[in-house]
Amino acid sequence: MRFIRAMLRNPTTSVGVVLCIVVVLGALLAPWLSPHDPAEQSILDRLQPPGGEFLLGTDTFGRDVLARILWGARISLVIAVTSISAAILIGGSIGMVSGYAGGRFDLLVMQVMDVMLSFPSLILGLIVVALLGPALLNLVIAIALTAIAPFARIARAPVLSLKQRAFVEAGRALGFSHARVLFVHILPNILSEVLVMGSLWMATAVRTEASLSFIGLGVKPPTPTWGGMMRDGFENILDAPWLSIWPGLAILVLVLGLNMVGDGLRDATDPKLAGT
Amino acid sequence: MTLRAALLAAALVLPLPAVAAPRTTLVVGMAAQDVGRLDPHFAVSTPDRAVVAWMFNALVRFKPGSMSPGDIEPDLAESWESSRDRKVWTFHLRHGVRFHGDYGELTADDVVFSLRKSADHNRSAVSGDFAAFDQIEAIDPYTVRITLKQTVPSLLGILTNYGGGFIVSRKAVEKLGDAFARAPIGTGPFAYASLTPNQSLELDAHTAYFRGAPKLAHISYRFLPSNASRDLAFENGELDLAFGMQDQTWVTRTRRNPNAIVDVFEPGEAALLHLNITQKPLDDIRVRRAIAYAVNRPELLRWQGADVSRQPGSVIPIGNLGYTADNGLPQHNLDKARALLAEAGYANGLTIKVIHTQLPSMLAQMQVVQAELKRAGITLDLQVVEHATYHQMIRQDLSPIVFYNAARFPVADIYLTQFYHSRSTVKTPTAVTNFSHCNAADAEIDAARTEPDEQKQLALWQVAQGKIIARLCAVPLIETLQAWVRRADLDYGFPLKGSLSLGPVITEATHFK
Repeated sequence: MRFIRAMLRNPTTSVGVVLCIVVVLGALLAPWLSPHDPAEQSILDRLQPPGGEFLLGTDTFGRDVLARILWGARISLVIAVTSISAAILIGGSIGMVSGYAGGRFDLLVMQVMDVMLSFPSLILGLIVVALLGPALLNLVIAIALTAIAPFARIARAPVLSLKQRAFVEAGRALGFSHARVLFVHILPNILSEVLVMGSLWMATAVRTEASLSFIGLGVKPPTPTWGGMMRDGFENILDAPWLSIWPGLAILVLVLGLNMVGDGLRDATDPKLAGT
Repeated sequence: MTLRAALLAAALVLPLPAVAAPRTTLVVGMAAQDVGRLDPHFAVSTPDRAVVAWMFNALVRFKPGSMSPGDIEPDLAESWESSRDRKVWTFHLRHGVRFHGDYGELTADDVVFSLRKSADHNRSAVSGDFAAFDQIEAIDPYTVRITLKQTVPSLLGILTNYGGGFIVSRKAVEKLGDAFARAPIGTGPFAYASLTPNQSLELDAHTAYFRGAPKLAHISYRFLPSNASRDLAFENGELDLAFGMQDQTWVTRTRRNPNAIVDVFEPGEAALLHLNITQKPLDDIRVRRAIAYAVNRPELLRWQGADVSRQPGSVIPIGNLGYTADNGLPQHNLDKARALLAEAGYANGLTIKVIHTQLPSMLAQMQVVQAELKRAGITLDLQVVEHATYHQMIRQDLSPIVFYNAARFPVADIYLTQFYHSRSTVKTPTAVTNFSHCNAADAEIDAARTEPDEQKQLALWQVAQGKIIARLCAVPLIETLQAWVRRADLDYGFPLKGSLSLGPVITEATHFK
């Protein structure tokens, strides 16, 4: 509780939390908040400007933009949460085992991670989606792959120092298995660092998903995604600029919120900043 | 000082009103990332088709601005005659026609080489059009004889300035090899100058052009795939001519620009859903009929816009010789669609995986169709792939439903043969674009091709359409016309009503006023 209170004392973090809560609530309550079906077309109502029956206007198929943004939030959040959770699980485990084992194994694993890190996340995601095909699961796999290496690095660094600590050596002396030492004694000590990075990487995942959708490698139509909405809207930018502006703002709000929360978490867990 | 000298001196000293020389460079914006293949026998995409028509000639051509079979006129051939049974055709070539650059004069050898190349499926994408050709031979340097295995409804149609009819330089093809597809040599009014990938194709006037030197000196064909970017470039005066959007909103907005002329012209590209009658669940006629009833053509028309599209009534495009709308095509009826699905055992609906292109215009059309079918309980699970991959995959018979847009020479035989004759079935040695595996009207299509009586021929084509619709090999969706925009001072040199190259034909007469 003290940790959460310390975090929320920072006004920037509080704003971030509010922004994230707004998006999460919008996504969770989409079926009740959406005034229209996000996929239902009404050709007679195509390209309606914001206002009246359609608060944020309609797209080229006469679909309600507000409904699509609310439902699109689900896709963005699902992809961000699942891909980063997978990256934490896989990357974190690799980093912990590698750091704990040390030696040549550690060297080899870290070199593989360095190779993965050399690819910008969007390019790596693009390669994976191009190979597997654009689909929700493939997007999750692509984004998770881009985040595995950073989480392996983040998890490995503290393990290198923790494994020299007395409580770890005591555990080994008592005959505990390596798995028990790693996951029962070391893991709780590195979890906060990994979770802080997780919140920041969620923002990156949202951006990557939007970018892939923008270049046509997103979830299949007619599923609404913010990046896909921006791309479709760009085709009509001179006639209906709102089609790109609203999903762009939605991406901005979520990414900003996640970054603010991430920064707040980092500050709250940083002993150097404690009490400041 | 004489009066004459004084006037001359005054003329040199006094400021003259500025008289701008007419511009001679045409800047064109095309919806493409790059050109594909500029070998005219492989140029099948719209961006490639539009530009090769400015670089090549054929034995005969459509009068510029027209694509009516009645407007075919001499091009590289000055005259021609045919035998009484219309199986042997002799073409007399113009003298003194020069190829671009140093490739010399056109002779019968080049014509024979070009037509044989067009007929060879390894060296052409349109070899199917030449299936009836038996022999192509040079009688002398200026005479070519074509012998057919059987009569075809319009031989001249196959030899026009479109697809396989273009004549290439034999010397250039043999010398350049694969490079010919990126730097082609023809006899047309404009010659290849340079190509910067993903940026532009530059053409120079062919000053030795046989109809006279073009009025334009240069054409810059710029690749601007984004509709919005192209629009902005045109509005800012960076483009003189641009590929438009087949969309009413675009047409209405662009027409408000006093410096712009929107050209909407033939051909209407017919969009159809080709249903593979051999694959489950589409092998059940009730499912195909349900799809036909679920499609709402008036809604599609309203979405696309009345100025740029029209509602089709058959499985071949409107305006094709032999077209009939009197064929029993099912009209939109959701109740019937749902009932048929239930009868076929899909009371809770069904899902069909469909491979489709990323191309924005076609993807948008397909999304309207997807929503229409969804209302009847048919879910199209779209596997969206890059456009070239889509073409490859549908030809590998990987999609049970194929959404395909096409315009062909406007005689029923071409469309019926390519899309509905069993000989053209995809993944067979003689494959063209029969995605549905249709074989409902082979006998009528074959009989019509060789039928000497025009009325009987028309009747056979109409029966063929009725049979194809009864079998529901394909469901017509919409026909979209070509839409381009040009600056008001750009004069094509002819009224533009149609163009089989899918873009305005730029000729020696095209100029700025």
